[in-house]
Order: sequence, then structure tokens, then C-alpha cells
Amino acid sequence: MIRFENVSLGYTDRMVIQGVNLEIPEGKTMVILGDSGSGKSTLLKGVLGILQPQEGRIEVNGANVGDLDEDDLLGYRQRIGMVFQEGALFDSLTVGENIGFWLWEHTDWSDAQIEERIRTLLRFVGLEDVIDRRPDELSGGMRRRVAIARAMAPQDPLVMLYDEPTTGLDPFTSRSICDLIRQVQREFRVMSLVVTHDLHDAFRVGDLFSFIHDSRVILTGDRTVIEGSDDPFIKTFLST
Amino acid sequence: MKDFLLEKILRFFEPIGAFVLMVSKGFRYMFSSFRIGDTLIQMDLIGVGSIPIVFLASIFAGLDMALQFEVVMAPYGARALLGKVVTTSIIRDMGPVLASLVMSARVTAGIASELGMMNVTQQIDALRVMGVDPVDRLVAPRLAAGLVMMPILSVAGDFLALLAGLGISVAVGHVPSPLFWSGVRDALTAQNLTNAFLKPLFFGFILTSIGCHYGMRTTGGAYGVGRSTTKAVVASAVWILISNFLISKLLINIWGLSS
Repeated sequence: MIRFENVSLGYTDRMVIQGVNLEIPEGKTMVILGDSGSGKSTLLKGVLGILQPQEGRIEVNGANVGDLDEDDLLGYRQRIGMVFQEGALFDSLTVGENIGFWLWEHTDWSDAQIEERIRTLLRFVGLEDVIDRRPDELSGGMRRRVAIARAMAPQDPLVMLYDEPTTGLDPFTSRSICDLIRQVQREFRVMSLVVTHDLHDAFRVGDLFSFIHDSRVILTGDRTVIEGSDDPFIKTFLST
Repeated sequence: MKDFLLEKILRFFEPIGAFVLMVSKGFRYMFSSFRIGDTLIQMDLIGVGSIPIVFLASIFAGLDMALQFEVVMAPYGARALLGKVVTTSIIRDMGPVLASLVMSARVTAGIASELGMMNVTQQIDALRVMGVDPVDRLVAPRLAAGLVMMPILSVAGDFLALLAGLGISVAVGHVPSPLFWSGVRDALTAQNLTNAFLKPLFFGFILTSIGCHYGMRTTGGAYGVGRSTTKAVVASAVWILISNFLISKLLINIWGLSS
């Protein structure tokens, strides 16, 4: 379980998120919704330990991320699969090398075992024939798929984090990425936290939804709770 | 007011602290988890890739220096000293500084823009998330490559500059070749050789560490990458000139004024 307890996150000159309380149960996907600049991605940085809370605590499976020192954080992050907004694939490496990167760094697997794992993951995301291509030879949708495959390279990721996974994609490709996120959650039973401002995509992938507005969480619940809300911001968000 | 001042002071020292931290971690990784493959790639990019431009600059510097000294020394009948004077100038100062300034335009800019682009496209965050310290993967190999390749390139450049100087001395100054080489041998003193090897070692560190520092702190998209690259090149050129003076002064204090 991921638990945010009264968490405030930000930078030296400004607080981005204040007093956030959230719980993401095992095997569920929570979608964080909100307008641009509302601090949605900052929550992901908190889970990753890239930003430490100024107040409160973030627990992942009982461990307080704020208590981990730099070496512990490196180990902890090995169990987190993160899909960045534009994929953040290493452009000096091929697709195969991107996906195998974690395995080469942290396991003593043979090259043959790693290649087998790479091919399995590429088959899973439907891109087996791009193994030797460079990221700049791929379309936006393909890059997101490779990024998802790379995030799943560790055999047992505790959590999958997605930062605006469909931004900049056409509706058809967005839908296929949402289906893939759902497939990952269904087949591997990982907790997932998805940040997006796209309501349609949110409803496609999420079990639970949380709205952020003015640095605070204003509502959390399932789709029925969200759609039944009287909050003016949420009503406006739902109607656009 | 007190908080404001404190914040200003902290903001001033923060980049210095970050630089010291990055460099100390870089050296630690160089010895604890040396990445031979990445270092060889960087040695190729930083060193082998810079050969044409460093050698070209060195040859023309040698030609020009011999020409200028010949003009100044000929009226005093001191052409016989051309070999010694040209060699001393090249290996003590001109060779290492010129090679480093040329390298800073190529290497520091390259490192700052590459790491800057990786930063703004979240590739460095991706490394952290995958449990890899970016200093280990990106900074340490570049530092090691700079420390190894800069002295090699500088000394090779010095040799080419001397050959160019010999050419001008023989062709224009009519200095017999053995006389020029005798001057070269006279100039290869312990003090001059220490300059020739020590300075490029420091400059190699400056070139790579400053490029890494600005690259790793880049924010703000393509505009930010451009700004970081410019700042890195200017800072490395300035620090090369400052440290050149300081090393010269230090070595003169140690060895005395004799050449």
C-alpha cells in the first residue's frame, strides 16, 4: 500500500502540494487529476524520494520514504517502475539496451537471459521488431510502450508510476496506451499511480481518482463519487 | 532582512557546494566502481575526437611562435636560442593552454549540452529511478577520460608545435636543425616538463568537471541547454586561464626562476 499522511512537498522557494492524505491499496490504480501546474507530478517525485516531504510522511509498503538515506533510496527505486512524460528513453542506447539497462546494472544475468527478458517485454507491449532501433526512430506512442517495457524490466516492481502517459498522443494511440496500462495492472497486480489531466484516459485506467486543486486534494473516490461531486472545480473539469 | 541575506548567501554557495559534492563523488566512483567501457567511450569522444583540432591549433601556434621569436631575436643575433625559447614557451604555457582552450570549445560544450539535454528530457531522473547514480554513470567516466586524455593530447600537440617551430626556424631563420634540437634538449628541464604534464592534468579536470556541473544543473528546455552550454564554455576558459597562472606561480615558487 502507498500512503500519503498529511504530506506537503515543494521547493525552497514555494510549496507545491500541501496536506495531502491518500491511500492506494494493493493491486489498484489511482489516477491523480488536476489542471496544469497543480502539483500532480510532484506527488510522483515524492514517491520516488526525489523530493522529500517538508511535512508528513509517504509510506510504501510500510517503509517511510523520508527515512531512507541515499544508498537505501537507490535500492528502493529499483523496485519502482516509472514511466516518464515523454518516455525519457536513453537516446544513446537502442530500444533493447534501454529495456535491458536495469538488468545489466543490477543483476548478474547472462546476455542471453537479458535478451530473452527484453524480447518477452517487447512482445508484451507489442513491439518485438524494434529491438535494434534508436528511440528517435520511434513514434510517440511506440516510445511510451518501450518506456512501459523498460519500467517493467525488474521482475517484481512494487509500484508503477505514470507521469502524463498519453500527453501529445492522438486519441487512438492514447487509448492503446491506456489499455496497456490496464493490462500491466491486471497481469502483474502492481499498485499504480497515474498522473494525467485527461479525464477520458483517467476513467479508462483508474480504479480510484483523486483531484488536486490549489495545492490540495479536494476529492478522492471511485468514479461514482467523482461524478456525483458538487464541487464547482470538479464539475467544470468533468464538463470540459 | 536577516532571512533575505541568509537566503542570498545560501544561493551563492549552493552551486559551489553542489560542484564539490559532484566532483568528490565522481572521484569516489572512479576508484570504487570504475566503468571501463563508459570511460573508453568517453576517451574516444573527448580525446581521439579532438585530435584534428588540437593538432591543427598546435601546429599553427608553433609556426607563429617561431616566426615571431625569429623576428624579435634576429636583430640581436640570438637565432641560435630559437630552439630553447620556442620549446620553453610551448611546453610551459602555450601548448597546454591553447590545447585546453580549443578543447573547452569542443569538449566542455559537448558535455554540458549532452548532459543538459539528458536532464531536460528526464533521462537523468530515469537513471536515478533505476537505482543508478548519474554521477557514477555519467560524471566519473568523463572525469577519468579528461584526466587521461588531456595530458596525452597536450604533449602530442607540444611535439607537433616544436616540429612546426623547427620548420620555420630552418626555413626562415636559417637555423641549422641540430642547433635547434640542441636548444630543445636544453629546454627539457624538470621544471618545464612538470609544467607540460601537470597543467593539462588540471585543465582536463576543469574541462570535464565544469561541463558536467552545468549539464547536470540544466533546466528550462532547449533554451536552458543553450544557456548552460555557453556558461560552461566561458567558465572553463576563465578557470583554465586563472589556474594556469596559479600553477605557474606555484611551480616557480617551488623550482625558482630558472628554466
